[in-house]
Amino acid sequence: MTSIFIAVAVLTLLALVFGVILGFASKKFKVEGNPVVDQVEALLPQTQCGQCGYPGCRPYAEAIANGDHINKCPPGGTATMEKIAELMGVDEEPLNAQAQSAVKKVAYIREDECIGCTKCIQACPVDAILGAGKLMHTVIAKDCTGCDLCVEPCPVDCIDMIPVETTIQNWDWKLNTIPVKVIHSEQEETAC
Amino acid sequence: MAFKIASSPHVSTNLHTNTVMKRVALCLIPGLAVQSYYFGFGTLIQLVLAVSIAYCAEAAVMKLRHKNIKATLADNSALVTAALLAVAIPPLAPWWLIVIGTLFAIVIVKQLYGGLGNNVFNPAMAAYVLLLISFPVQMTSWVAPQTLALHQADVLSSLQSIFELNAPYLAEHFRLGIDGTTMATPLDTLKTDLSMGLTTTESMSKPIFSGMAAEGWFWVNMAYLAGGVIMLKLKVIRWHISGAIIASLFVCASFGFLISPDTFVSPIMHLFSGGTMLAAFFIATDPVTAATSPRGRLIFGAMIGVLIYVIRTFGGYPDAVAFAVLLANMCAPFIDYYIRPRSYGHRTGN
Amino acid sequence: MLTLLEQLDKGVLWQSPGGIHPPQFKTLSNQSAIARLPLAKRFVVPVPLVGEQATLTVSVGDTVLKGQVLTEGSGFTYLPVHAPTSGKIVAIEQHATNHPSSLPTLSCIIESDGQDTWCELTTSNLAQLSKAEILGKIKQAGIAGMGGAAFPSHVKLNPASEIDLVIINGIECEPYITSDDRLMRDHSDEIIAGVAIIHHLLSPQRIIIAIEDNKPEAAHAMKAAISRSSLPQDMVRVTVIPTKYPSGGEKQLIQIITGKEVPSGAIPAQLGIVVHNVGTAYAIQDAIYHGKPLIERVVTLTGEHIGHPGNYWIPIGTTVADTLQSVSFTTSIDQKVIVGGPMMGYALADLDVPILKGTNCLLVPSPNEIAPDVDEKACIRCGECAVACPALLLPQQLFWHSKAQEYDKAASFNLKDCIECGCCSYVCPSDIPLVEYYRVAKSALKTAAEEKRQAEQAKIRFEARLKRLEDEKNAREAKAKEAAAKRQANMKASDKDAVAAAMARIAAKKAQTESHVNSEEASSSVAPTAADPKKAAVNAAIERAKAKKAAQANTSSVPVATNNAEDDKKAMIAAAVARAKAKKAAQETNATSPQESEPTTVTAIDDKQARVAAAVAKAKAKKAAQETSTTSSQESEPTTVTAIDDKQARVALAVAKAKAKKAAQEASTTSPQESEPTTVTAIDDKQARVALAVAKAKAKKASQEASTTSPQESEPTTVTAIDDKQARVALTVAKAKAKKAALQHVTQQDDAGLASPIADTATLNELHILPTENKLAEQPADCSDQKPGADLSPEQIKKAKVAAAIAKAKAKKLAQNAEQEEQ
Repeated sequence: MTSIFIAVAVLTLLALVFGVILGFASKKFKVEGNPVVDQVEALLPQTQCGQCGYPGCRPYAEAIANGDHINKCPPGGTATMEKIAELMGVDEEPLNAQAQSAVKKVAYIREDECIGCTKCIQACPVDAILGAGKLMHTVIAKDCTGCDLCVEPCPVDCIDMIPVETTIQNWDWKLNTIPVKVIHSEQEETAC
Repeated sequence: MAFKIASSPHVSTNLHTNTVMKRVALCLIPGLAVQSYYFGFGTLIQLVLAVSIAYCAEAAVMKLRHKNIKATLADNSALVTAALLAVAIPPLAPWWLIVIGTLFAIVIVKQLYGGLGNNVFNPAMAAYVLLLISFPVQMTSWVAPQTLALHQADVLSSLQSIFELNAPYLAEHFRLGIDGTTMATPLDTLKTDLSMGLTTTESMSKPIFSGMAAEGWFWVNMAYLAGGVIMLKLKVIRWHISGAIIASLFVCASFGFLISPDTFVSPIMHLFSGGTMLAAFFIATDPVTAATSPRGRLIFGAMIGVLIYVIRTFGGYPDAVAFAVLLANMCAPFIDYYIRPRSYGHRTGN
Repeated sequence: MLTLLEQLDKGVLWQSPGGIHPPQFKTLSNQSAIARLPLAKRFVVPVPLVGEQATLTVSVGDTVLKGQVLTEGSGFTYLPVHAPTSGKIVAIEQHATNHPSSLPTLSCIIESDGQDTWCELTTSNLAQLSKAEILGKIKQAGIAGMGGAAFPSHVKLNPASEIDLVIINGIECEPYITSDDRLMRDHSDEIIAGVAIIHHLLSPQRIIIAIEDNKPEAAHAMKAAISRSSLPQDMVRVTVIPTKYPSGGEKQLIQIITGKEVPSGAIPAQLGIVVHNVGTAYAIQDAIYHGKPLIERVVTLTGEHIGHPGNYWIPIGTTVADTLQSVSFTTSIDQKVIVGGPMMGYALADLDVPILKGTNCLLVPSPNEIAPDVDEKACIRCGECAVACPALLLPQQLFWHSKAQEYDKAASFNLKDCIECGCCSYVCPSDIPLVEYYRVAKSALKTAAEEKRQAEQAKIRFEARLKRLEDEKNAREAKAKEAAAKRQANMKASDKDAVAAAMARIAAKKAQTESHVNSEEASSSVAPTAADPKKAAVNAAIERAKAKKAAQANTSSVPVATNNAEDDKKAMIAAAVARAKAKKAAQETNATSPQESEPTTVTAIDDKQARVAAAVAKAKAKKAAQETSTTSSQESEPTTVTAIDDKQARVALAVAKAKAKKAAQEASTTSPQESEPTTVTAIDDKQARVALAVAKAKAKKASQEASTTSPQESEPTTVTAIDDKQARVALTVAKAKAKKAALQHVTQQDDAGLASPIADTATLNELHILPTENKLAEQPADCSDQKPGADLSPEQIKKAKVAAAIAKAKAKKLAQNAEQEEQ
C-alpha cells in the first residue's frame, strides 16, 4: 500500500517538476510572432499579383502558414513551390495554373495608343506605372514585377508583356544557345 | 565553316578516367603474378571469370537504363572492380562465388546507386563482405602456398576445382600442407592459436610463417606495394590514403607489440599479410568512395588502418580489410563535409 | 625576421597553391618583333556606356579623325571611346560584340578613309601636370586594364588608401600569348616611362615588375631599361618567378610576391597593393607624353591555323574577321577561334566582332593542338581539381551543387572566389567542363540576388502603395462626412434657390460669353508675352479653370484674369490654387455671392512643366464639374483651348466620339431639336472648324438646359485658333463637354441629331482609310453644312483611326450600360 502511495507521490512530483520546467521554457523561449509567415513571404516572389486569390504576397504567406495549398503562386513557379514545400514540410504539389514561361517579363505600354485612362495605374500593385489622366502612361521597367495585373484593365489593350531582353550584363552563360554564324576562310573561298 | 563554341579551358590533360582505370588494372599485374606463383592459377581463372561477368552485367544494366553501353564499358571501371574481387577471394573458390560477387558488385553496389561516381561503397569490397558473410566456408578456404602445399594445383585441377567438375573436395585437397594438415591463412592461424593460449612467437614458429612474416603472403604484399609505388609515380593515385593506412596500422601494431609482444602481432606481420597492401594502394584509393580533400584522405586512410588493426586484433574475423574499407566509405561524406580546406582569401575555413 | 620590403628586395617568393603546367607554345608567336597589319576598311567601335553613363558626340554621317572622342559622359568609371582611324560614321547600331555571348551592343560603325589622319594631339610634360591632371588625361585617353578585364585604369591609379607596393604584371602565364612578352622586349623604355608615371601618381615604396622565367629576354630588356631610366634604382626591380599557370592572376601574383592573400570580396588596394599590366603602363606613357588615346593594342595572333603567327599592333575596333583574313588563316571542322588564351579565352560564335581593349590574343588552333571536345563523363571524385585549384576551393563539390542547380549550396562552398582559371577542368580526367558549370551557377546566383533585391523593392513599393490607398480612403471619408453635414445644413436654401439658380445660369452664360471676349482681349493684350503657344496653353488652362469655377459658383460676373507672368512655378501654383478654389466653390453650393478670383500672373518658361500643369488643371476642373451635383446646370465655358499636343488632342477626340455615341444611345426622348444655323467668322478652314465645334457645343448645351425648353440662340462666337492642333483640341474638348452634359441630362431633349453624325463619322473613319482630314471634318459639316477642307498627314490619319477604334469600343460599352439603365 505504501509503495503505491510512494509511486503516486513520486509521479505527481515529477509531473509537477516537469510542468514547471515546461512552463518556464515556454516563457523563456517564447517565439515572437509567427516566423513561418515571414519565411514563407521571403520565398514568395513579391509580384503582389494576386493570382493566388489573396491580395498580395503577405496574405498568401499567412494563408500557407495556416495550411493553404502551396501551389497557388504561378510567378514563383515550381522552384518557389518546392522551397515552400521544404520549409513547411509538406508534399510538393503541381502548380494549379499552367506553368508560366520562366522568362521574366515586364509590362510595356504602347505609348501611341495609350489614352491616359489611369486604369493601369490603379491596377499596378507596386506603383510602377507613371502618368496622369489624359496623359500618356509609361512603365518603370525596373520596378515592374511582371504581374500582368495592368493588362486586363486597359481599355485599348495597349499593354504588352514583353520578355526582359538579355544583355551582356545578365547573360546566363548558356553557351549552347548561341547561334553560330557560318563564315568562310580565304582558303575555302578560293577552293570553292 | 561552322565555328565551335565551348567554354574555356580549351585544353586538358591526357589523363582521362579510362586511362586512370587502365593503369590501376595494369599496376595490379605484379601482385597478380606473385599471387599466382604462390597460390596457383586459380586467381587467373577467377580474374577471367570476374572480368567477363562484370562487363556483361554492366552492359545489361546500361541497356536497361538506356545509356550508352560502349562509353560506359570504355571507362574500364568494371575491369578494376572485377580484378580486385578476383584477387581478393580464395583462388580455388567455386565459380558461382565469383559470379554472385561480381554481379552484386556491378549491378547492386555500383549501378543501382547511379553508376560510376555515385556509389557509396567500394563495389569489390561490398561484394567480398557479402560473400564472406553468406559463404564463410568457401571464402576462408585459401589454398596453401605452393611452396608448402602437399599438392600443387595446376591449370587443369584448378579449373576442375573452381567449376566443381568431379571432386567437390578438390579445394580442400589443395589446402593440405606438407605435413598433411589443412592450412589456414596466416592471420587465421594466428587468431586461432592466440585464442588457444599460444604466444605469437609459438604460433609464428609454424611452417606457414617464414621469419618475420607469412610465407608467400609477404611477397604478394610486396608485389602490391611495388604496384602501388608505380601508381604513385604515374600520379594515378595520391599518397595520402595509402600512406595514412600504412602509417596508422604500423603505429597501432607497434603500440600493441611494444606493450605485449606475446599477445599482439608484430607490425611487420600486420603490414605484409592478408590484404593490407592491396587495400592500401588499390582498394581504399578508389576515389569514388574515398574522401576527396588531402586532409580528409589522411583521416580516411588513418581510419582504415586503425579499423584493420582493431578488427584483426579484437574482432571475430582474421582479416578486416573489407570491413575497414566499407566502414570508412560510410564515413567519407562526413569527412568531406567537415574537412573543408580554407579557401583563398578566407582567414578561417568555413 | 625580415620585413616584407627586405624580402621583396631579396626577391623572396612564396608558393601559391594549386596551379598547373600546361604546354606553353609561346615560341610560335614570339620570334619576331611587333608588326602592323594593313588598315581595315571597316571598324566596329562598341559604345556600351551610351544610355547609362554617356552620350554620343557624333551621329551617322559625321566624319571623324583618328583619336577623336566619340562619347562624352560623367561618372567615376566612365571611359571615353575614341575613333581608331579617320573616316566616316556609316551607322550607329546594335552590333555583335566581342564577348562569349556575341550579344549585340550599340556600336559605331566607322568606314575608314584610308588616310588615318590623327586629330590634334596635345603632348605634355609630366613635371608641369598635377596629379589630377595626369589622372584626367589617363581617363580621357580611355585607358583600361590591358590584361583582359579592361577595368578603367584611372580608378586603380587613384585609390582611397595608401599604396605601398605596385606590381607590374608581365607574367603572361597563359599558353600561346606573347603580346606582353614582345611589348617588354620591343618597348621596354616606354613601359618604364609608364611605370615612372605610375610611380609619380602613387608614390609607392616599391615597384616590382614580375616576369615568368620562360621569358628571359623580356626580363633582361626590362632590367636594362630600368638601369637606363631616371627611376630610383633601389625602388624598382624585376622579379622573375617560376612558370606556373595561373601565376598571372592578380590574387595569385600578390600571393607569390608578398605571401599575402587578398581577403575574399576585397580588392588588393586594401592591402596597399596595386597590380597593373605592362600594356597599361605603355598606354599610360603614350597618353601622357604623346597625348594619344588608347586606340590600338598588341594582339598575339597565333595557332597553327594562322598563316603568319606573331604579334601585331591592331587598332581597337578592327573586326576579328578582318584581322584573321590579313594573316591568312585556315579553318578545319569544328574550328574554334579563341579570344584570349586556351585556358581562359572564349570561343567566338561570330567573327564579325571587334578587337577590344582587353583582347590580348586570337588563337586559331588546329585539331592537333587543341583536341576537339569530348563528352563529359561521370565525376569519379578523384580530387585532382581540388589539388589544382589556386583558390583552394573544392571544385567537385561546386560541380555537384552547380549541376544539381543547388546554387545556394554552391555559394556556401565559396563559388564566388572562383577565378575561372580553368585549372580544374584542365586536370579533370572525366572531361567535365567545370568552369562552364561555375559560370552558369555564378550568373544564376547573380540573377537570384537581383531578383531578391527586386522582390524586396516590390514589397516596399507594395506596402507604400497600400499605405497611400489607406490614407486616401480615410481622407475621402472625412471629406464626405464634412460635405454631408454641410449639405444637410443648407438643404432648404438650395431648394429655394432653384428658380433663382435657373435665372442666374442664364445670366451667367451671358456673362461668360462676355468674359470670353474679355479674356480674348486680355490674352491679345498680353500677346507679346503669350506669343508662344505653349505659354498660351498655360494661360488657357488657368482661364478655363477659373471660368469653370465662376460658372459653378453661379456668378454673374467673371473676373478677367490678366496673364502677365514671371515664372512657370508661379503659374503652376496659381493653377493649383485656382483648381482648389474651383472645387471648393463647387462644393459650397450655398455660396451664391460672386467670388473674386485673384488676378494671376502667369508666364510659362519651361513649356513641359507648363503643359503638365495645364493638363492637370484641365483634368481637375472637369472632376470638379462632375462633383457639383447640387448646381444642376453646368455652363461650359467658351474657351480658347490650347492643346498640349497633337496626340492628346487626338485621344480626346476619340474619347469624345465614343461618348457622343453613348449619349445618342441613351437619349430617351425622341423630339429632335434643330440647332440653329451658326454664324461663324472664320479666318481659315481650321479656324472655321474650331468655331464650328464650339458652336456645336453651345447648341448642345442649350438643348441640355433642363429648365428652359425653348430653342436657344447660340451666340456668334469669335474664335481665334492659334494653330491646327489647338483647333482640333478645341473641337474635341467641346464635344467632350457636350457629351458630358448629355449624360447628366438624360431626360432632356434629344441631341441625337447632333451626336449621331459624330458617332457615324467615327465609324466611317474606322471603316474607310481616309486620306485626308476632309472626311474627318465631316462631322461638323453634317450639322452645319460647312465643309472645311484641310490636309492631314498620313500618320495623323493613322492615329485618328486608332482613336476612332477606341471610341467605338467605348461607345459599345456605354451602349451596354445604357441598356441596363433602361431596364
